[in-house]
Amino acid sequence: MEEIAGSAASIFYGTTDAGSEVAIEKREQAMLELADFDEVVRVYRPRILRFLLSSLTDRDAAEALTQECFLKAWSARHQFRGDSSLSTWLTRIAVNLMRDHLRSRSLRFWQKTRGSSLDVMDISDWIPDGRSSPESVAVARDRVAGVWRAVNDLSAHQRSVFVLRFVEEMELEEIATTIGMNLSTVKSHLYRALAAIRERLGETK
Amino acid sequence: MKFRKDAAANPELDSSRDDIRDLAEDLSLYRSAMHHLAESEAARRPFVAEARPAHSFHLRLLLAPALAAAVAAGVFVPVYSHFHHRHPAVATASQAAPDPTEARASIDDSALMNQIDSDLSENVPDALQPLADLSDQATTKNSVSENKNATHE
Repeated sequence: MEEIAGSAASIFYGTTDAGSEVAIEKREQAMLELADFDEVVRVYRPRILRFLLSSLTDRDAAEALTQECFLKAWSARHQFRGDSSLSTWLTRIAVNLMRDHLRSRSLRFWQKTRGSSLDVMDISDWIPDGRSSPESVAVARDRVAGVWRAVNDLSAHQRSVFVLRFVEEMELEEIATTIGMNLSTVKSHLYRALAAIRERLGETK
Repeated sequence: MKFRKDAAANPELDSSRDDIRDLAEDLSLYRSAMHHLAESEAARRPFVAEARPAHSFHLRLLLAPALAAAVAAGVFVPVYSHFHHRHPAVATASQAAPDPTEARASIDDSALMNQIDSDLSENVPDALQPLADLSDQATTKNSVSENKNATHE
């Protein structure tokens, strides 16, 4: 019975080699994972919120889009085929929501003042352990604030690629799949983003 | 090995490496700060589904189509009733056989209306014309006084 199911799956996915079996296993695992949606929300919400918070620098917008992301995921859960990981799929939904949000926000250009926007003090408020002296803490805060300002000056595409790579620590291929860009375009955005950040940090030092 | 010697001999390469190391450390600090910030933000604001009783998240998603159906009903029922009243012949044709008493009553009513209509449109005989003029004047006066009373009130 299991053999029949396995062969049916291989016919459905069109492959029969060992690598494809692993892929099928991953797909099935992702489908099982998606079945318990409360757990999906619990596990992936911090990541989606972090990506949106880093990209938008607005608490309320990040939270609203995170909730919308999971609502969309719930509505479209039957369309998920497991071709990518659940994390990639959710991040892709978040990226699309963010694009729509930025597009609508650019139309509402008069709403410049945002009460829930993150400040540079919010981001540099936290410094990791191991820096006992006040001088080292101050230096670390300055460095984080510098990166923060430099990231805020990036274009939307560059910022998305940068955040996915250096905050979410995704692979470049995964970023390309998530954002829907060519790998070379992702590399180009990342190169320019890093060059801009490096230049900006060099100015401040 | 040769590369190491060249690198050690090249101060520009060293400074570039230092820059890259500094940049990597800056990015690491930034990542840690963002992770911490997002965690604290997530803890500060619980997800809507978590803040509500169990299955409320699913219930909310199920209520959305119900709400849409209610809104659709709210739109289509007035539209339907509007067209229903505008085309009574179509509506009566689609209905079941009418009640005989209602039919009789409607016939009687129409007969009565026809009778009243014919009575009102009947010419006044010449002999009664002065009375008719008097009644017209009285009616006009009454209506004028009523209007005055209304304005005074």
